[in-house]
Amino acid sequence: MLREKIERHILKVQKPSRYIGGEIGSIVKDKSKIDVRFAFCFPDVYDIGMSHLGMKILYSLTNSRENFWCERVFSPWIDYEKIMRENDIPLYGLESLEPIKDFDFIGFTLQYELSYTNVLNMLDLAGVPVYSKDRKNLSPIVVAGGPCTCNPEPLTDFVDIFILGEGEEVNLELLDLYAKMKKDGASKEEFLKEAVKIEGIYIPAFYDVSYNHDGTIKSVVPKNGAPEKVKKRIIKDFDNVFYPETFVVPFTETVHDRAVVEVLRGCIRGCRFCQAGFIYRPFREKSIGTIVNETKSLCESTGYEEVSLSSLSTSDYSQINLMLNELVDYTEKEKINLSLPSTRIDNFSKELLEKIKSVRKSGLTFAPEAGTQRLRDVINKNITEEEILSACKTAFEGGYSSVKLYFMLGLPTETDEDVEGIAVLAEKIEKLFYSLPHRPKGRLSISISAATFVPKPFTPFQFEPQALPEEIKRKQSLLISKTNPKTVSLSWHKTDISILEAVLARGDRRLCDALYHAWKSGCVFDSWDECYDFLKWKKVFEELGIDISFYANRKRSYEEIQPWDHLDYFVSKEFLIRENKKAHEGIATPNCRISCSGCGINKAIGGACFE
Amino acid sequence: MNDVRAVFEKLGRARFISHLDLLRCMQRAFKRAGLPLWYSQGFNPRAYLMFPLPLSLGIGSICEIMDFTLVDDISCDEIKDRLNKTLPDGIKILSVDAPVKKHTEIAAAVYEIKFFDRNSNIILLFNEFMEQEKIEIQKVNKKKIPVQIDIKPQIEVLEMVSKDGQAVIKLKLPAGTQENLNVNSMLEAFQNFIKSEIDDIFICRTDILCLDGKKFF
Repeated sequence: MLREKIERHILKVQKPSRYIGGEIGSIVKDKSKIDVRFAFCFPDVYDIGMSHLGMKILYSLTNSRENFWCERVFSPWIDYEKIMRENDIPLYGLESLEPIKDFDFIGFTLQYELSYTNVLNMLDLAGVPVYSKDRKNLSPIVVAGGPCTCNPEPLTDFVDIFILGEGEEVNLELLDLYAKMKKDGASKEEFLKEAVKIEGIYIPAFYDVSYNHDGTIKSVVPKNGAPEKVKKRIIKDFDNVFYPETFVVPFTETVHDRAVVEVLRGCIRGCRFCQAGFIYRPFREKSIGTIVNETKSLCESTGYEEVSLSSLSTSDYSQINLMLNELVDYTEKEKINLSLPSTRIDNFSKELLEKIKSVRKSGLTFAPEAGTQRLRDVINKNITEEEILSACKTAFEGGYSSVKLYFMLGLPTETDEDVEGIAVLAEKIEKLFYSLPHRPKGRLSISISAATFVPKPFTPFQFEPQALPEEIKRKQSLLISKTNPKTVSLSWHKTDISILEAVLARGDRRLCDALYHAWKSGCVFDSWDECYDFLKWKKVFEELGIDISFYANRKRSYEEIQPWDHLDYFVSKEFLIRENKKAHEGIATPNCRISCSGCGINKAIGGACFE
Repeated sequence: MNDVRAVFEKLGRARFISHLDLLRCMQRAFKRAGLPLWYSQGFNPRAYLMFPLPLSLGIGSICEIMDFTLVDDISCDEIKDRLNKTLPDGIKILSVDAPVKKHTEIAAAVYEIKFFDRNSNIILLFNEFMEQEKIEIQKVNKKKIPVQIDIKPQIEVLEMVSKDGQAVIKLKLPAGTQENLNVNSMLEAFQNFIKSEIDDIFICRTDILCLDGKKFF
């Protein structure tokens, strides 16, 4: 039996409880009563995947149906992968400890581009052919969802079905269709031809892509009744959407080891670099009653002593103070720590700070993203220096002596003055701190993280080139020379990681080959510094004659057909072009609550986003 | 306030929960069960929850001890029932009582080691292992200097049986604050002696004893 084999070898690896299941909240069913078995795969380690909210939602949702059984699968870390391969242990579901190659669906969530090689590796570990065309039988069907499916082209050779947008409805529709057709003895092709009729379902094999001489896309032509443009799915009644009553409670400590309540979806801000701000539109909130009920239910059923309010920007919740008052009533009584990870500088009030602080002090992080007002207007990060300083003042007077600030380097139109502006801002924060009579004891510490900007699909910057690595390195050195090392600590990712991210994010189908060969040459866990090997990737690109700069560093014209143009996230290309032009003119766009900028999402919900 | 001692088993998948993870797992189980633990008063309040004899990862047990203090007076039976309803697969509370003996009275633990290897005569080899004049292993002393110590006098073989190609060896090893021998250190010495690795094995702690040989609980 597989279980005995696993138990025999599991003590040789780090953190064996990642691989053995049995956690409270995990769902074990009688497989003889199941129509559809679904392996929900997160292409990274357990500790990261178990922190992901989307997986928790879809796991509970699928299992809420008696005839479906969804199990969790994570990428084994390299130590366990070696043991699995040496001892013929195929990739298995954590609930049944049975091989997932016998499941009906193998589903991946695509959260970041650098997990793509792990998708291939997991299919291979499962004992399933990685190429879609080599899997002839009805099962397993390989599906994928998540934010990266807004341009899944580099994975189109491997995945049978992509699910666009929010999964709470479409996943069940797809599984229902499958259950019915499996009973009727349908073939894979017959199933795919029916599935393509469901809104939100993208079957890449049903599209022929041709290219121009310059390498850009000439046309994308649908066949087999596939739609010209595949629309993403949106949950209209967000307050009543399915939400788990309980979570699987891991034994080992995970990145976010706590209860999580989603308070809102979408974002009103429209920061021009931020993909999430566009692909998760429209903005929708849960009612206070729902939020409080979900918090109670989760805390009681999991035993967690911390709850975090999740969203892209929690302080944009329309009745934030009222909501927090009601929540704090409960969390204080139960000694539960309440955390608000995504808070904006411009509505960071004393009142809000008191509430976060009321149970335990956690660190403060702000994201000005750019060092000067000019550049913040370009990227539409509508916050002023005054607001940044006033938020810091509130924090310092509230007892904080350290702040973390997020910036990006290589933003469109960025000059050296903008880079130096980061250092100038840090200096002003430092001066402010030491000028306060009621500042906390000790020294101030400012951590500045300066990520390399990666242009993403469905943003106004999708047309922009990524800055060349030499340029980024120069700007990093400039920043080092301008900051005070006693107060400011600087950090960034390796620049060559951002290059690969840029290539894959806006890549097309011709990158499938590169992905395959990179994986074959040993690339896995590309988002992990200890595993990432850019030289291997570079060699593969060279051998296949793929030009990195074509994907990463080229200015794309407004007219060019982008690899994702046949996918419809309701944010129109006209709007993105308009926003791109405004960026270059340095004109900001007001947030959606102030005025509608006509992105197109209202067509999907049949009316205005805000009353 | 209510001082309580629970005895529980840790078997199956639960063997792979590390000691640190077990602590967290239990704390959450109390929370789910609605059993309010008493928190230490101070700057960083901690729940009073204590395991006198931590178990190594991978080893099963039918005699784990957990001491805790509850804020409310709740009957032992109810504590046991409520916890058992919410504990993960493999962990089960066997009994709940008021603590009688002190942790410092713990002197030894009994382990049952099952060898599934059908191809070698483990019992014969183990006899040879025990017939050595000395069984030396390396340990790090309090000054962090490695020292050689002879563990032979610490090992008391209680029983050795072989049935259906399966050997079972029952041992008593010193445990507790005075003198302690990890069953894995002993097994490592045995594997070095026979010059081969044993991976098909199941170890279970079956008893915790006091100096006078009587059961701790």
